[in-house]
Amino acid sequence: MPRFTIDGKVITVEPGTTVLQAARAHGIPIPYFCWHPKLSIDGSCRMCQVEVEKIPKLQIACNTPIVDGMVVHTETDRVKAARQAVMEMLLINHPLDCPICDEAGECKLQDLTFQYGVPHSRFEEPKRQLDKRVEIGPRVMLDQERCILCRRCVRFCREIPKTGELVVEGRADFSVITTDPGCKLDNRYSINTVDICPVGALTSRDFRFKVRVWFLKDTPSVCTGCSNGCNINISAYKDRVFRFLPRRNDAVNDTWMCDDGRLSYHRIQSADRIRLPRIRDDAPGEGTISQATAPWDIAIEAAARRLRDARDVRGAAALGAVASAHATNEDLFLFLKFCREVLGVERPGMVVPEWEPDDLLIKEEQAPNAAGARAMGIGDADDARATLARCERGEIDALVVLGSDLLLAADRERVLAALAKVGTIVCIDTHESDLSRIAHVVLPAQGFAEKDGTLTNGKGRVQRIHPALRPVGEARAEWEILGLLAARMGHAFACASPAAILKELAQEVPAFRGITLERVGSQGVPLEGA
Amino acid sequence: MPAEKYLSGNFDRPGSETIDGYIALGGYQSARKALESMTPEALVELVKESGLRGRGGAGFPTGMKWSFMPKAGKDDRPRYIACNADESEPGTFKDRAIMEHDPHQLIEGLILGGWAMQAKAAYIYIRGEYVRPARILEKAIQEAYAKGFLGQKVMGKDFAFDVVLHRGAGAYICGEETGLMESLEGKKGMPRKKPPFPANYGLWGMPTTVNNVETFCHVVHIVGRGVEWFRGIGSEKSKGSTLFGVSGHVARPGLYELPLGTTAREIIFEHAGGIANGRELKAFIPGGSSTKPLPASLVDVKMDHDDLAAAGSALGTAGLIVMDDTTCMVRASKVIAHFYRHESCGQCTQCREGTAWLDKLIGRIENGSGMMRDLDVLLDVANQMEGVTICALSDAAAWPVQGVLRHWKDEFARHIQEGKCPFPDSFEI
Repeated sequence: MPRFTIDGKVITVEPGTTVLQAARAHGIPIPYFCWHPKLSIDGSCRMCQVEVEKIPKLQIACNTPIVDGMVVHTETDRVKAARQAVMEMLLINHPLDCPICDEAGECKLQDLTFQYGVPHSRFEEPKRQLDKRVEIGPRVMLDQERCILCRRCVRFCREIPKTGELVVEGRADFSVITTDPGCKLDNRYSINTVDICPVGALTSRDFRFKVRVWFLKDTPSVCTGCSNGCNINISAYKDRVFRFLPRRNDAVNDTWMCDDGRLSYHRIQSADRIRLPRIRDDAPGEGTISQATAPWDIAIEAAARRLRDARDVRGAAALGAVASAHATNEDLFLFLKFCREVLGVERPGMVVPEWEPDDLLIKEEQAPNAAGARAMGIGDADDARATLARCERGEIDALVVLGSDLLLAADRERVLAALAKVGTIVCIDTHESDLSRIAHVVLPAQGFAEKDGTLTNGKGRVQRIHPALRPVGEARAEWEILGLLAARMGHAFACASPAAILKELAQEVPAFRGITLERVGSQGVPLEGA
Repeated sequence: MPAEKYLSGNFDRPGSETIDGYIALGGYQSARKALESMTPEALVELVKESGLRGRGGAGFPTGMKWSFMPKAGKDDRPRYIACNADESEPGTFKDRAIMEHDPHQLIEGLILGGWAMQAKAAYIYIRGEYVRPARILEKAIQEAYAKGFLGQKVMGKDFAFDVVLHRGAGAYICGEETGLMESLEGKKGMPRKKPPFPANYGLWGMPTTVNNVETFCHVVHIVGRGVEWFRGIGSEKSKGSTLFGVSGHVARPGLYELPLGTTAREIIFEHAGGIANGRELKAFIPGGSSTKPLPASLVDVKMDHDDLAAAGSALGTAGLIVMDDTTCMVRASKVIAHFYRHESCGQCTQCREGTAWLDKLIGRIENGSGMMRDLDVLLDVANQMEGVTICALSDAAAWPVQGVLRHWKDEFARHIQEGKCPFPDSFEI
């Protein structure tokens, strides 16, 4: 393995490693614009120039493979002057209006100007004038004047979604980023170009000009849009979510995420969130449905009483339960425990919504935790449909439902007709649905951005979510709701936190053996055998 | 005794562009000799020993370049030759003459290169504006195929070699060897970063060597007449003759085949008939627009790699641009700066931004709106562009500015002080 010296440090590297990769791995700062860890090497920004002994010209660190005995210097006067020159050249035509630029605060050009630039300009000529607001795609806006032509976005479209919409048109200082004729930047991953744009040239039309980025607080989490479980940061300010950003995890999503997943944050605080517990108060046979909000203890009591009554009259066979692939491992484990120990339901069903997958990140199962549910013994859509059939036959008196995916189990009218025959529906959910509107007790659940816990992606990787926001209204975590309900029904569950529940889950379910919140960490761990 | 014109000797002979005419004048004998009696390795060695340096501008030793190709047996990928006929350097028009008047000389050179490097094919990348040379060359290629000099069995030997003519679309940058390859592959002509180098990863990712048209032609004569003969022409480290293209304010602009090392004075005053209209020599650009202009006081410089380097310029493509005493050097710089700005591919920061900065800044000085501090900025910008980019276009834009500021800084100062161009009779832009 080649050994080389960089700034006096002797480092051994894998063959084929570049100077830039080795420097990054060892904390030696080398600035760059066009290089990106997940894209091909471009070598055009020239910011990463370093001095290599025995080579007369400065070399770009990003494209210099290390050979045995190489001696590299990253901080000589020559290197510093070369960097300063690149900074000067990049800035002569750049609009120096950071105060009104949406990128300010997370701008590579701004940051590197502070570190490597010169504080004054010698440029006396008119700046280049280009289009400031190009609707380059339905979700991305382009400001050509801010562009420094690093071509990360062009390479992204060619190499990652492989759609190749973006091109550089023209030459020299007339070069502009644009789309191929008749084409829009409209692939399922288009907003990643905004993330990798080192300046304010590409901005997300959803996010731009809504908040200054330095106000945002990032909380590590996992996207719940599908079973891929892309790692994300939830960016929030004053208890409001402004965006999701992909967080690097080479085992899951590299540094990318899809546009649908990214924009799914709008659901978190949408107007149709269930904020308060409700109890149905229409008289039986009246024909109209009415629900009234209730304090938590009254609602829990009502649910417990109804479930107890149903069990006492016709036994456990008259009870049904349906789980949700949107809940965390901890919620689901407690739900399963509740079903088995309190309701006497061995195998609750679960319907997982599906959508059009691709071969990059988007998976067919449009929910984050179906794999976790299955691993611990929760049933599938057939089980849910069997429960529904029993509802149709009038065999079920009380039904506990997590989420609303049950509505997708069969034809909508049929599902609703079947549910109309059930004397008690306890609905634990985050958002209003046809199910919450007919339920006899509605218990508001926290969304994934409001709670702690773990999710298991389609490949069996257990990943951590953290609360980024205060819960909406009086919403509580499902595990907490189920604990309250169980207690009211005479079963004391000892689990008082996601950590404690995960500990028990790890003890009881072999696939989860050895998994703890600490081990899950920020990058996740695979289930046993996954 | 005037030197023998081995490259251009056939130019004025009727029928020289036809294969029969070429054969009648002794053509294709070098190719036959090499194929019949020389191993590829021996041919590479011969070119190395000859001291031939590339005629495309950089003057890199040709034999050495050929030896960079991976050894056959160790690497069995198909290998290619790209012949650079994109002659786009302002002031340069030698390859055009070869292709128009003696196209088979080039084809024979390509066969020799093909044999030496065991190439599968040679792609001639000819600049789009060269419509007539392309037509003549295409016909010559057909003739060579018909005679069995190209194709599956070249001259009856077990050697398959094709020649393909490809017309460019008018970009200077496609004359840069890796920009040329990108363009040949159907992509936008943008130079490639190195590594990987063309000898390992060239056309379509295969081992490739790129040489200039004239370079291949020299090989024909080196094979035909031997290394000793070739080394007897030219100067210490610049062997052979070359086609000096003389343009600008001379009485007889044109191509002059002379040994390397001939003085600029001899070329300008003896061969090109001196300065036109009885004016005085003011400046000359020795090797195409990217080389640094030199003042009349240096006209005794020998036109070879070493002497021109010592004089602060370069041989380049041997395209000698002559300027008389009416010429405004600021205006001349502006023309050159504008050219490189227009032709920069735009990928490297310093070139994309620097070429435009030079153009705007020089333009402002020429218009009389300059400031004295601009002169320092101008030199700094040029210096910042040198040797720091993927290809040499940035250097090509920087060198003429450095050269002009070295010898004619006072002219820039006069523009600034007088608030206008002090050369009313200079050529117009």
